[in-house]
Amino acid sequence: MSPEETPTDAVLSVRDLSVSFATRQGVVRAVDGLSFDVGTKEVLGIVGESGSGKSVAMYSMLGLVRDANVSISGSVRFEGREILGLSDTEMQSVRGGEVGMIFQDPMTALTPVYTVGWQIVEQLRAHNDMTKKAAYVRATELLAEVGIPDPKSRVNHYPHEFSGGMRQRVVIAMALSCNPKLLIADEPTTALDVTTQAQILDLMGRLQAIHGSSIVIITHDMGVIAEIAHRVVVMYAGRPAEIGPELDVVRSARHPYTWGLLGAVPRADVKTRRLVTIPGNAVSPLEVPTGCAFAPRCQYRMDICAERPPLRGARDHLDACWLSDEQRLEIRSTVTVRGES
Amino acid sequence: MSDDVLLRATDVVKSFASRRRVKGIRSLNTAVNGVSLEVKRGETLGIVGESGCGKSTLARCLVQLLPVTSGHVEFNGVELTTLSRRQLRPHRREMQLVFQDPYASLNPRRTVGDIVADPMRINKIGSDAEINARVRELFQTVGLDPTALRRYPHEFSGGQRQRIGIARSLSLNPSLVVADEPVSALDVSVQAQVLNLMTDLQDEFKLTYLFIAHDLGVVRHVSDRVGVMYLGEIVELGEAEALYETPLHPYTEALLSVVPELNDTDAPRRERIIISGDVPDPADRPTGCSFHPRCPVATDLCTTEKPDFVELRPGRFVACHHPRNLEAVAPIT
Repeated sequence: MSPEETPTDAVLSVRDLSVSFATRQGVVRAVDGLSFDVGTKEVLGIVGESGSGKSVAMYSMLGLVRDANVSISGSVRFEGREILGLSDTEMQSVRGGEVGMIFQDPMTALTPVYTVGWQIVEQLRAHNDMTKKAAYVRATELLAEVGIPDPKSRVNHYPHEFSGGMRQRVVIAMALSCNPKLLIADEPTTALDVTTQAQILDLMGRLQAIHGSSIVIITHDMGVIAEIAHRVVVMYAGRPAEIGPELDVVRSARHPYTWGLLGAVPRADVKTRRLVTIPGNAVSPLEVPTGCAFAPRCQYRMDICAERPPLRGARDHLDACWLSDEQRLEIRSTVTVRGES
Repeated sequence: MSDDVLLRATDVVKSFASRRRVKGIRSLNTAVNGVSLEVKRGETLGIVGESGCGKSTLARCLVQLLPVTSGHVEFNGVELTTLSRRQLRPHRREMQLVFQDPYASLNPRRTVGDIVADPMRINKIGSDAEINARVRELFQTVGLDPTALRRYPHEFSGGQRQRIGIARSLSLNPSLVVADEPVSALDVSVQAQVLNLMTDLQDEFKLTYLFIAHDLGVVRHVSDRVGVMYLGEIVELGEAEALYETPLHPYTEALLSVVPELNDTDAPRRERIIISGDVPDPADRPTGCSFHPRCPVATDLCTTEKPDFVELRPGRFVACHHPRNLEAVAPIT
């Protein structure tokens, strides 16, 4: 994907996004050269472990990283319009309006001192010319749409009166309130139990089908990606390691980090023997190597890995690794890449 | 007690006084509601359940960190619930804990060497030199650099801290290790390292594990047998592979059906059963079967009569009036 190419149907087009923080210990490159597109009605998953830069990337493109020492570069086009570097006021009309957001912790995403109805109404009226009364009616409808029982009375309840799953439904109702073209969900089910997670993923899928929004879902859980995403970006140390259609990445992963990530998951659906482990710990953001960021932990590292590998590949399945196709085939035929028995 | 059972719990109940009133009465929050189970020597018994199901409270009751409200806990053939603190002490050595949060479970003001040595010092096992040698050995066993003994917990990553917690739990050569969500705070690649380590240690030291987690994949991976908890009760218990392949309780079936899968093969996905609603308040327990308000196959019987926890298939215990998939599992002959 070259920077000049911008598919016409892309709702969000990110090119060479880099986010770095100047700290006393040195410069932390939290995001380093991230490029991807999100198509119309597409669900894009961004997966990575803690510190991989997946959340910072999203927050910085929406102007939510307000650190005096941050520097952000690259290009982020939302519906063809550059949004990196918009003023606060301009950004405010994008956020919550055309771009909805769902956060990990539904308790902190809602203010405890106002009713959920009040909070949805506030957002509706910030982005639309609506009377308070009409906005309350709409808020009640939204609560009904996300499956909250008895919405007429629940609209007057405070966040603490809802369970975790119900709170996340409220947050989804808020995110959808202005019919966003793009929904950004940062670990939307991580704080939830598995049965509640299923309810929320199911709800997100259904609402997406109805509203036709595009979704970017950030998660550490490959299972959630497999469940909901069409395409996936695997991030490591702030850089994209692999990008491709979900099925391709899960079934024929190309990057050694993705192999490790997939093989390390203990499965509930099949018996796993010994888990595949990635030796060592995630690289410190202060000490990311100039070459391949994964090289220090990679068992297939070669001399050339001292140079940074470009993101390349066939058609829509790209990866940043120096291994040749022949080498990969050989590796995959001799070792168990997945944790299968 | 037959020799192969290390720990036996019989009808363990743990209630906490609740501040809330339900129907005008100050209610009891029954976190564990009549759990019976056996942990066999050398096995891993996994306990899985969603948050608030009482799995951690159960673990604490079993190792006598919390007094039980009623019921019995036998360990190595000794009834623990009636012992005084002093009488308990020799038994405590035999059962050690690994905790969820590798940040909160290590004293930040002590060096990691001291943290691992403390159990031996408290129990007056060995001279200083012997303890020191043992700490070094334990560090090597769990894959840590013994030269890091003098460092403090904050200098280690989450995975390394969990290794320190494991080293501490092994310092007294326990027969039972109770691990309460030992890997849930860790990233998946680090989680795999710690799980593999725990498996290796079990083989090396013939440990018995009681492994508590909410992650169904993790529990399947480590367990020989699994108990599924819902609202303070074990609703199904059996051999891990059989239980995961053919769940008999509707809750187990629903739970397993919604775990996100990787679809890395063409095998058809289990049909998803999305159960509605939330887990009820343990202070206001439903009548009859605790799961009936959310159960897709509940009948009138389930609303009035609590099902017994019985062995429906060899080694498989289920508390349900309408068990599922019975035809798929060979009956007791």
